[in-house]
Amino acid sequence: MTSILEVQNVYSGYGKIEVLHGVSIQADSGEIVCIIGPNGSGKSTLLKTIFGLIKPKRGVVLFSGRDISLKEPEEKVGMGIAYIPQGKNIFPSLTVRENLEMGGTPLHDSRVIEKALQDIFQRYPVLEKRMKMKAGSLSGGERQVLALARASMVQPKLMLLDEPSLGLAPKVIEEIYERINAINHAGVTFVIVEQNARKALKSAHRAYVLDLGINRLEDTGERLLNNEEVKRLYLGG
Amino acid sequence: MDFLFQSILNGILAGCIYALFAMGLTLIYGVLNFVNFAHGELIMWGAYFLYFLMGKPFGFPLPIALIPALLLTILLGIGMDRFVFKPLRTANRLTLLIAALGLSFLLRNGAQFLWGAELRTYGFEIKRGLRILGISITLNQVAIILTSIVCIVFVYLLFHRTRLGKSMRAVSDNLELARVMGIDSKHAIQFAWVIASVLAGVGGILLALDTNLQPGMGLINLVKAFAATLLGGVGNIWGALLGGIVIGLAENLGVLVISPGYKDAIAFGIMVLMLLIRPSALLGRQE
Ligand SMILES: Nc1ncnc2c1ncn2[C@@H]1O[C@H](COP(=O)(O)OP(=O)(O)O)[C@@H](O)[C@H]1O
Ligand SMILES: [Mg+2]
Repeated sequence: MTSILEVQNVYSGYGKIEVLHGVSIQADSGEIVCIIGPNGSGKSTLLKTIFGLIKPKRGVVLFSGRDISLKEPEEKVGMGIAYIPQGKNIFPSLTVRENLEMGGTPLHDSRVIEKALQDIFQRYPVLEKRMKMKAGSLSGGERQVLALARASMVQPKLMLLDEPSLGLAPKVIEEIYERINAINHAGVTFVIVEQNARKALKSAHRAYVLDLGINRLEDTGERLLNNEEVKRLYLGG
Repeated sequence: MDFLFQSILNGILAGCIYALFAMGLTLIYGVLNFVNFAHGELIMWGAYFLYFLMGKPFGFPLPIALIPALLLTILLGIGMDRFVFKPLRTANRLTLLIAALGLSFLLRNGAQFLWGAELRTYGFEIKRGLRILGISITLNQVAIILTSIVCIVFVYLLFHRTRLGKSMRAVSDNLELARVMGIDSKHAIQFAWVIASVLAGVGGILLALDTNLQPGMGLINLVKAFAATLLGGVGNIWGALLGGIVIGLAENLGVLVISPGYKDAIAFGIMVLMLLIRPSALLGRQE
């Protein structure tokens, strides 16, 4: 196994406020790595730091062995990293089709974008049916599917997902994770942040528990799921 | 009855021009999340740039002067952003609001300094009206409607058929998300200024063709554009188009019941009403 992402002892935050106090995580190529932890523990901040929306004050972020700590998000997209933020992660006033086209921005050439779009429609017939609809009129689950499909437009190697199950019904969460597993089987590595973590831990090969901006635990998803402390503190008993 | 049709026609005419102003205003609001109170001065300077190029020493005829006049308007719009608003990108809304007001004042006085405060015209009187079904319409007015339609179709095609236009809408929806996708937001913002300036310039010129030029013309029309923008939902370009036409019609039908002297008060009334309903609009979207 080769390591596709390595976050080594990263310190990061907003202005003078430090949120991450030396966090380290690692993901092997082809893995689904899950990061759980209570609200405010810095999970979103960690993803933003990996993606370059915030720059780490100390520590490094390696992507396929290259130091990308200080690179801009635009550059990272080009290198094969996709990021789906928490919450508002689609363009509501654009159509479904236009949302996907926007995801294809780094491909530059219109014909290449069109080709990627057709591939996506083949894998996601739901979206093809809705392609002329405003994305804002989609249901919560459909929005997540759209966000996933849009990130897939550029065939990234690594996808960073921030709370993909936020606000969704259990059945819909099930469906989203089926989609994630399918993309993962095609070889894409995932780093998924979840607060509500049961489903995520089931899918994850490995997982980290983050609390107050530092690493708490690291294990396979399976074992963390059965860990008494994790159950009590982070899975609601 | 003829009088009613005439008022409707005048309303649509005025509405077309307001729509051009409002679409530009709302576009900038969409991408930068602030109301550019100096937008009126783009309108006014656009009209004066044409006046300048048609007068001595150039004396260009209108069709030739039009393109450089619009280019100068674009330059003014880009300059506004580059030297005033861009350095304040992370400043709070109130600072931006005051900067825009100051800029508006400066540009208005600049025009007054150069051309004086008196009314001016482009100097050709094509007031010979056509009469269709009892409604009179001048050739200028036909040109106004046609030009507005061309502009609106152009904006539609740009926004819905080109990648740059779609990126601009994406940035307007959610700037940070656009960035996450690798969309060049700086480019999109700059292009939004180009479009807003062209729409303001064209609108200002049309207005001056139909009426006259005067340094205060921007300010009064900003009020109308702003009312139209609020009516259509801030940041919504097609709402702005509709809002402009509604305001134009409301003004011209309103004078059937109240004195024409209060015409401008109608747009003002609509603006105040909308601000009472949605006060947050003035200081940008509150997330
Ligand atoms: N833009 C921001 N500016 C300042 N502080 C922030 C910002 N975003 C988050 N924080 C703070 O950083 C801490 C971690 O937040 P976050 O990374 O969003 O946690 P999580 O995603 O685990 O819920 C919180 O205390 C939060 O208040
Ligand atoms: Mg979060």
